[in-house]
Amino acid sequence: MTTEPADDRPPAAGPSANLIAAAVVVLLGGAAIAGATDLGSGPGTWPMIVGVALVVLGLALAVQARRAEPPERFTRSSLLVVAAVASMIVYVAVIATIGFEIPTLLLAFVWLRFLGKETWRTSIAVSLGIVVVFYALFVGALDVTIPHLF
Amino acid sequence: MSAVIDGFAVVLEPTNLLYCLVGVVIGMLIGVLPGLGPAATIAILLPVTFGMEPVTAVIMLAGIFYGAQYGGTITSVLLRLPGEASSVVTVFDGYALARQGRAGAALGIAAIGSFVGGTLSIVALTFVAPIVAGFALDFGPPEYTLLALLGIMLVATISSGGRIRALAAAGVGLLLATVGRDDFTSAERFTLGNLSLADGIDFVPIAMGLFGLGEILYNLEERHRAVQPPAKVTGVWPSRADLRQSSGAIGRGSVIGFVLGILPGGGAVLSSLAAYALEKRRSKHPERFGQGAIEGVAAPETANNAATTSSFIPLLSLGIPANATMAVIFGALLIQGVTPGPQLVTEHPELFWGVVNSMYIGNVLLLIMSIPLLGVFVRILRVRATVLAPITVLITLVGAYTVNNSVFDIGLVIGFGVLGYLMKKAGFDPGPMVLAFVLGSLLETSLRRSLLLFDGDPTGFVTRPISGTLFAMFLAVVLLPLAGTLLRRRRPAPTAGGEVAAHPEADRPTDTAQTQTGSMEPGPTVNESAENRPADSQQMKSGLVAGKPVSQSPSSTGPADAQVGSMAERPGESPSRNPNSETKEPE
Amino acid sequence: MKITLPALGLAGLLLLTGCGGNLDSDGDSGSTAAYPERAVTLLVGQDAGGSTDLIGRALADPASKDLGQPITVQNKPGANGAVAAKELAAAKADGYTVMVFVGSLAYITPLAVPADQAVDINNYEVVTGISQDDFVLIANPQTGFKTVQDIVAAKRPIKFATTGVGTGSQLTQTLLFAQAGVDATAVPFNGGAPALTAVLGGQVDVAAVQLGEAKEQIEAGKAVPIVTFATQRPSYMPDTPTATEAGFQVPVQQSRAIVAPKGTPKEAVDRLRTAFQKGFADQAYKDFNTKRLLTANEVDGTALLQQWNGSLQTYRDLVAQHKIDLTAK
Repeated sequence: MTTEPADDRPPAAGPSANLIAAAVVVLLGGAAIAGATDLGSGPGTWPMIVGVALVVLGLALAVQARRAEPPERFTRSSLLVVAAVASMIVYVAVIATIGFEIPTLLLAFVWLRFLGKETWRTSIAVSLGIVVVFYALFVGALDVTIPHLF
Repeated sequence: MSAVIDGFAVVLEPTNLLYCLVGVVIGMLIGVLPGLGPAATIAILLPVTFGMEPVTAVIMLAGIFYGAQYGGTITSVLLRLPGEASSVVTVFDGYALARQGRAGAALGIAAIGSFVGGTLSIVALTFVAPIVAGFALDFGPPEYTLLALLGIMLVATISSGGRIRALAAAGVGLLLATVGRDDFTSAERFTLGNLSLADGIDFVPIAMGLFGLGEILYNLEERHRAVQPPAKVTGVWPSRADLRQSSGAIGRGSVIGFVLGILPGGGAVLSSLAAYALEKRRSKHPERFGQGAIEGVAAPETANNAATTSSFIPLLSLGIPANATMAVIFGALLIQGVTPGPQLVTEHPELFWGVVNSMYIGNVLLLIMSIPLLGVFVRILRVRATVLAPITVLITLVGAYTVNNSVFDIGLVIGFGVLGYLMKKAGFDPGPMVLAFVLGSLLETSLRRSLLLFDGDPTGFVTRPISGTLFAMFLAVVLLPLAGTLLRRRRPAPTAGGEVAAHPEADRPTDTAQTQTGSMEPGPTVNESAENRPADSQQMKSGLVAGKPVSQSPSSTGPADAQVGSMAERPGESPSRNPNSETKEPE
Repeated sequence: MKITLPALGLAGLLLLTGCGGNLDSDGDSGSTAAYPERAVTLLVGQDAGGSTDLIGRALADPASKDLGQPITVQNKPGANGAVAAKELAAAKADGYTVMVFVGSLAYITPLAVPADQAVDINNYEVVTGISQDDFVLIANPQTGFKTVQDIVAAKRPIKFATTGVGTGSQLTQTLLFAQAGVDATAVPFNGGAPALTAVLGGQVDVAAVQLGEAKEQIEAGKAVPIVTFATQRPSYMPDTPTATEAGFQVPVQQSRAIVAPKGTPKEAVDRLRTAFQKGFADQAYKDFNTKRLLTANEVDGTALLQQWNGSLQTYRDLVAQHKIDLTAK
């Protein structure tokens, strides 16, 4: 714990970021209350209670937003996360139509080579390895009905 | 008693020993793979058991069940991927230990705890199964309501983030649990017209997304800010000190696990949660929890394994399956022409005792197998993060698919992964959200069922003996710390939070803790080992209020960020779920 | 770049050995000549290990032997099978995707959910009926209830456990108590085991569960059978009257059938029916039926549609007649 350099703490965002987090909680609570109202009493009662609790908690978070530790700021390297999420969304979008093998190969490769800055050699070898092992494990051994091409 | 000994004779037949081994190996494998749970695996393997003797079949299937429990621990500790709801609590300290290079100790203590918990639970099962079976029947909807409520309060106290943040996350978890067709009216709630959500969201995508994928995404960003050396693995085995530190936790975890495991539905999750909360509360240094406290792994792992074993009691002595896996084993027995029920012990003693005794052997096998495997598993952490990340991501995505054979669930994992990442950035701990999600539908449905049973009269909760007792416990959990806060506020002592803030260099948690306990708890600080201190109100206070985790080094990453947040919020906080408590200003 | 060569080789090899994939895109539909030329997927709309799943698996095994191709069971749980039924409706009607369809989805759930969420069995091609499960009303011995008359004579409001909203368990009891004039409150539980537990623990007075689930408890004297909702007395419960004998009109069963998408070629449907009939004749499957206390209902598609549509109409009328709202709290 103590061996890490002291300057690797992510930069903190301003206290306003805490207000945004609090606002999200309030909004969620509000959405729950709105949905609960539509459902009416019975199915809606419990979501209503939870919604009200969330609004109260969100307001409490807002009150102490200035004192609480601020969230971390988004930096340029946050773009990596965006890229990673985008790659997974493409993965889930195509898996049903073209099977899991090619998307798995490509996702692994993109993560290794571009997100992980591994060498070409390692990236290709590892991503191929992943596909072969996954195929053997999920299709061969476990007979899972995941969409597969081969 | 001779039936018990005959049972051993049954188990020690080579075929049965072999299938016991096959069972625990398969169990461990599928426990390691997220997604495919023991229930589904057993269902898939059912045709294989058609040709077997009933005893052999159940011995193997039971092996899969408790083998999977242990396998789930491995991914929880190494990759922050809890495969089962009962492993969620293990993530808190298990993953923290792994990041400190002590994954071996965590896994080792989990193996030992599981062994002890499992074995003690079997001993108890052997002697008292018929007597305690009725206990499961005394638990009706009102009792479950209070148990779930207690569980959710515990969730907020065990979290490493700030109290209000933890409660807000728990609230979102409760809300997520309402998604799907209402059990009482079949009205669709928050499904946005999507049929895939009609049965609600599955636990696996939520847990995998918030914990595992969220962590990976966070680290992806982190990696480029500072070079993070892979954790140095310091020793593969739990040290003597680890064992000494955990022995009490293992003992108490066994008892909690055995008792709660008997309850059908949610027993294992509640037991791991309760065992963890108890240890944190008893501890002299509760702030270590969430930062890699070895008891924080020992307690829940012992408890969930003990619960796994005792969940056989309702099945074998009442014919009631306590969870999904038990339901499949019930089905397997039916196919074998044996109907589990009240008469099983008298009609098929060889089966009853064969199964019970196979669990002794199975636990020994698991221990023997897992100890040498520790070194292998721990080596996974030596793989560069850049290589490990895509492998973990893909296992998570494919694993999510295998739960319901649904591509939709893969999408959910990604969504919750993004949420987990954002929560981590904002200093919210996903633990309360996942656990509240697990307990949420139990709480809501039990509450509504109770009100139906009471014809809408809530005083029914107090008049039933067990639920009345639980209600008193609930009040104790909520009110005692509140009273503690009020008492403390009258005393003009400097708050620990201020002290720590004044000494940002204080990087050894123990130091700050001593400062803290010294300044705030004039109570029993003499001599005691954690095991024999009474759980009096001082303890409650120290666990719930004074014992909020206080930061260690400001240089540390990850959970520590949330810690600092909690420190700043801490002084004025009280459990705000209680309608009587208003949020107070500090100072 | 050398690494890619073996990869290409591997890919080529896999292509040469032929596609073994499970995607719908390969093969032209309606290949009547050689049906079946690959594995058939059997969708199950319930969790692995449940009654429906076990029935599907017990049947898939012997049927695939006759078919000469594997039958792969695939669980798509959700909304009492509505998720799987929707997937089946969207699947290619080529005989390679079929489903174990539960009757309650076709004739009870529509009474409890909005019309747009109801599944209409007439939009599917029924291959064959499978079997029926009967429900039994059980009471906790401490209630002293032995017959429906006892419940009526008790002249007190009672609580009954159901296995969920829109299930046979709910429908049977609601109809029975409406006809008997008993003030009864439904307490929905999530499945048979919790409902049974609630009766054994005395949380509720009575519950209707499937025979197989309650058999052991009844034999051990922990639960008292009051009536069955079968059409005739089940052979191992000769002393328990049916609801009809007790004077009530509550003919409710759980029924299951193999169903294909609408438009599946007749040849494929016939071939599948032959295969499943071979499966029904299999001794292991027959034993399974006996042990699970299932009544064979191995009728063809027309007969099954008649049964199910008739049930839906009957229940609709009964529910309307007794002014019952299955969705009420």
